[in-house]
Amino acid sequence: MHGIAATQPYVIALFLVWAGLAKLFSRRMRARAGQTALARLVGAARAVPALRLTGLVELAVAAALLVPPLSPWDVAAAALLSAGFLAYLAYAYVAAPTSSCGCLGAHSRPVDLRAFARAGLLLAASLLAVPADPHPPIVALGLAEAVVLMALSAELDRHWLTPLRRLIVRLRRPLALPPSEHVPLGASLHLLYRSPAYCSASAQLTSDVQDTWDEDGLRFVVYGARERTAVFAIPLAGNDPSAVLVTLVGS
Amino acid sequence: MTSRRDLLKSAVLGGGATVVAATALGSLGPEAAFAQSAPDVEPGTPDPNFAEGRIRTIKDNTLLVLGSNMVFHNIRIVDGTSLWKLGPVPFDEAKPGDGLYARGVLMPDGVLAAESVWLNIVNIKGHITNITDRTLHLDHNGQEVLCHVVAGKSVAVHSESPPTADLSMLKVAQHVQILGAWRPDTNEVDIATVFSPH
Repeated sequence: MHGIAATQPYVIALFLVWAGLAKLFSRRMRARAGQTALARLVGAARAVPALRLTGLVELAVAAALLVPPLSPWDVAAAALLSAGFLAYLAYAYVAAPTSSCGCLGAHSRPVDLRAFARAGLLLAASLLAVPADPHPPIVALGLAEAVVLMALSAELDRHWLTPLRRLIVRLRRPLALPPSEHVPLGASLHLLYRSPAYCSASAQLTSDVQDTWDEDGLRFVVYGARERTAVFAIPLAGNDPSAVLVTLVGS
Repeated sequence: MTSRRDLLKSAVLGGGATVVAATALGSLGPEAAFAQSAPDVEPGTPDPNFAEGRIRTIKDNTLLVLGSNMVFHNIRIVDGTSLWKLGPVPFDEAKPGDGLYARGVLMPDGVLAAESVWLNIVNIKGHITNITDRTLHLDHNGQEVLCHVVAGKSVAVHSESPPTADLSMLKVAQHVQILGAWRPDTNEVDIATVFSPH
């Protein structure tokens, strides 16, 4: 394996230390413990102790992986923990589909494909680490694995994915419109709702917009008003609600 | 239609006022105001003049609607009924499978004569996870909703400012409330209005 197996314990330990420290010391995570699937599994009252216990186990396994000599038992413990993560995620996905997993930090995203992929990768890394490997670890491989695992972590999205998407939106401007003279009906209706004309007649209105058309710089909007009809004339230009006209027409 | 529009136009421009005169509303006595506002629905009981559900079949001018509580409603569309589907639409825009809210008057034969029908209307809150190709990806309680910008219809309301057809001020990760029309049996919505807190 030429160093591949020797690399894995460091990668796994890095993530276990992160997960353990977050569980033990993140105040935000403790505050949100009740919203994780763990609360569903062990009960809301025991969510925080269960979170701390999990954090301690993760740190213990991480320490066992980092402190030489590396025994097959250490690796087996890591594999067991990773398999446990997968089982827990499957439980969360089925039993509490709207809860977050509470794995590596506080966030409100429910368990998704990325969470499974991350736990699956950790399990695969644990299994790869099983054969004894006298070669030194491959730093580039370890870094690449860590980057992939971090990319799969929804907890870190706000640090890289959100700024990246904002940058792409700023460059590509996917919502930019060609300039248009057309005023959407929604814009006219917002002006209408703030007008004295609408306030005076709204108690009489019994329907939503029945008809609308544009003529002479005005937008006409027709509502049913009991057995009568309410007609509003809204200027297409300008934002003055008091310029809106209204009349009630008997049918 | 044109002559009716001409009539309504001349009425509002000829005798139009910025407020409706009180005498146009009928009785001015205070009892009239109380009569208007007196609730005719017992608290806790369903409002007989309201229906919601999804259209099963459409026969002539009557919609057969299955409510979310598995109760069937017959809803009649008349000349004065307003229909909304991302804006005012004619009756032939109502399709089986559409969700609706309807308000009107329950007739003695059990048919709701509709005054207003809103097809597929949704009002959802969430935060924008991504913006691609005239589409907002909205995270609504962990579920992704694709919100499509419809040219000429969609508007954005930023804080207290007037609505604008330009939605390019919206940012990834910000919180929004979206009023729009659901595309039945999908996780997609056409945007009527995006409300943004800033």
